[in-house]
Amino acid sequence: MHKKIKVMISCMIIVIFILSLGACSQSSSSDKVGKNEIVFWNPFVGPDGKNMQMMVDAYNKTNPKFKVRNISLKEADMYAKIPTVVNSGRNIPDLNIVHAERIKQFVDKDMLIPMDDSLAKYPEIKAENYVKAGWDIGGLDNKRYSVPLDVHSFVMYYNKDLAAKYAPHALDDHIVTFDEIKEAGLKAKKDGIIAAPVTWMKPAFLSVYSQMGGSITSDGTKPTLNTEQAVDTLKLYNGFVKSGITNKDGQDAGQAFKSGKAIFYPEGIWMQNDIKKAKNLNWGMTNFPQLSDDKNKMVNWSSSHQFVLLKNPERNKKKTEGVIKFINWVRDNSLPWAEAGQNPAALATLDNPKYHEMPQSFLIKDATEQKSLKIFDYKYNGYISEQLDKIGNDTVFGKLDIKKALKDSQKTVEDKIAQDK
Amino acid sequence: MDLKLTEKKRIDVLSPAMGKPHRKGINFSPMIFIGPHLLLFALFFLIPIFFGVYISFTNWDLVNTPEFVGLDNYKEILLNKESTFYTQLHTGLGNTFKFVAFTVPACIIIPLLLAAALHVKPKGMKIFQAIFYLPVLFSISAVMIIWSMMFNVSFGPINHYFTSSPNWLGTQPYAWIALVVVTVWWGIGGNMIIYQAALNGVSKEYYEAASLDGAGRLQKFFHITLPSIKNQLLFTIVITTIAQFNIYGQALMLTKGGPSSSTTVLLMYIQQNAFGSGQSIAGIASAMAVILGLCIMAVSVIQFFLLRERK
Repeated sequence: MHKKIKVMISCMIIVIFILSLGACSQSSSSDKVGKNEIVFWNPFVGPDGKNMQMMVDAYNKTNPKFKVRNISLKEADMYAKIPTVVNSGRNIPDLNIVHAERIKQFVDKDMLIPMDDSLAKYPEIKAENYVKAGWDIGGLDNKRYSVPLDVHSFVMYYNKDLAAKYAPHALDDHIVTFDEIKEAGLKAKKDGIIAAPVTWMKPAFLSVYSQMGGSITSDGTKPTLNTEQAVDTLKLYNGFVKSGITNKDGQDAGQAFKSGKAIFYPEGIWMQNDIKKAKNLNWGMTNFPQLSDDKNKMVNWSSSHQFVLLKNPERNKKKTEGVIKFINWVRDNSLPWAEAGQNPAALATLDNPKYHEMPQSFLIKDATEQKSLKIFDYKYNGYISEQLDKIGNDTVFGKLDIKKALKDSQKTVEDKIAQDK
Repeated sequence: MDLKLTEKKRIDVLSPAMGKPHRKGINFSPMIFIGPHLLLFALFFLIPIFFGVYISFTNWDLVNTPEFVGLDNYKEILLNKESTFYTQLHTGLGNTFKFVAFTVPACIIIPLLLAAALHVKPKGMKIFQAIFYLPVLFSISAVMIIWSMMFNVSFGPINHYFTSSPNWLGTQPYAWIALVVVTVWWGIGGNMIIYQAALNGVSKEYYEAASLDGAGRLQKFFHITLPSIKNQLLFTIVITTIAQFNIYGQALMLTKGGPSSSTTVLLMYIQQNAFGSGQSIAGIASAMAVILGLCIMAVSVIQFFLLRERK
């Protein structure tokens, strides 16, 4: 080959390669930084993502100065990306949804900016207009770091026909106690019907643990998992397994409920659109099972999606105001979010009669019910969650010794916290 | 020795495609061809490796600046018997080694037998070849979702047809059996194709000569077939071992590490420590990853040593 041609081809390859690399990096950065655009990250990739997109579209139709660009990311990916972008200072979203349990940790790591100054122009964004459990999470050191979108709770579905047959009066007061579940279970057992399905043990454990007077932390830093109350909580469920009123290990409780083989089914309110798909199922929704029928002692595990502003040097004051304007708009227009199965945190939703017809609204309509919504707010909640997910089912189904599992979990969480120097 | 002559020969060997050898300066042509790949290799492989090793000497939460702590992370996971991370490394590495020990022989022997069976060109050979190869093309998530349905206690076909009711994914030893079966099913095709190609390359004359000498089928297989495809075997053993050491998806999606952490492999602990629900412990996670990397390297070197060409 002629030397000149060789050199030319080589140069072309290099130029094309460099250009393509350059184009990659350019498109990703210029994509993000629309001047009059609010880049909004959220973890709504499921069916609820469509409802969020609908809300964003509706907002953009109002012709705001700053339009919102909705970017839904898988939860794990989003939480992995957040530290990276904050660290690099580039491509940081203008608005972000994070789970309530993350806020303390994010504030502690200096990743969020307080909204107080920008909120001054929107006096309606205040405690009185939101569900207390959701609002309280965002107030730290007399500063407001977040505004709640929703409060989503772990409740209990029930099969109306089976409940009428096996637990005729359990639902009269809207509180089903564990004793009532056991009684119904023992009656239904001979018919192959289960009453106390073991589902997601983390929220179930936390609800009962809290009812027993337990707390996941003694002072906000030290974890308290290895306690008598924790042992009793797991023993309660283990007892149900032993008396044969639960699903068997490995059996799908959701399937059992949807096919009419379970009286009760503890699950999140967000699962209702899935339950609705089951044909010939006459179902209702009530509080998570309680130890006592005293309404004031009720606990329903809850979490909340919260709007936050990640630290972003490029987000100027005007854009921040645009962001708050959107949050304020959501406050008045949360019905599509309720249609996704969630409970919007904005109390303005209660003004809409359509919302009152939705089964999950019972948690918000009643002041006592609202008080039962408990968000397990703890800086190291993530470590506790991981441990509960790990030992929950194994201890309940008798594959792991309860005391040993709790002792090991306590140690694991303590060791992980010790690394936070 | 005539140095000039040696140098000339070296250049001739280095640039056979160039027609005439370059006697002076550096030859850039190979660099230009290899350049793009080298750049990507450095960008996505070398830099992350060095960064990962550096992180293993620090305490880092992914947000603030990494704080250099020397060998503290290694001391914690290798020497501090009281530490959770020591237990994690031992449990995780132990389960990873178990997985490698269970799957690698099966992932070599079964494809080899299938390749040998297909080599005699039975009826419908192409169809069987396609069936055996097909799973390789599926993504791990699809494979795991399909198999978790297959193993489902209530409506899974496996329990239905075997009229048994073990909780395949939640009790031992069934959980291990399930993991191995799925992994082998998923990976048969890759190695099988390599063996098929290798078997086609073995000269028929050897077999004919052996037949004349009265050798049986097994004798031919062990004395002709295996030695002839030794290099391909070595390659597949090393590659399969490395691949199985990196087990993550199967255990995560199928057994979720259970029951009681008996199938929690090291990569799951690494992932959870670095990118879990809680605050990141990236330093410890990186140190664990480095240890896993060293184990893979050591095992590969031993395999090379044992199977190398002896002259």
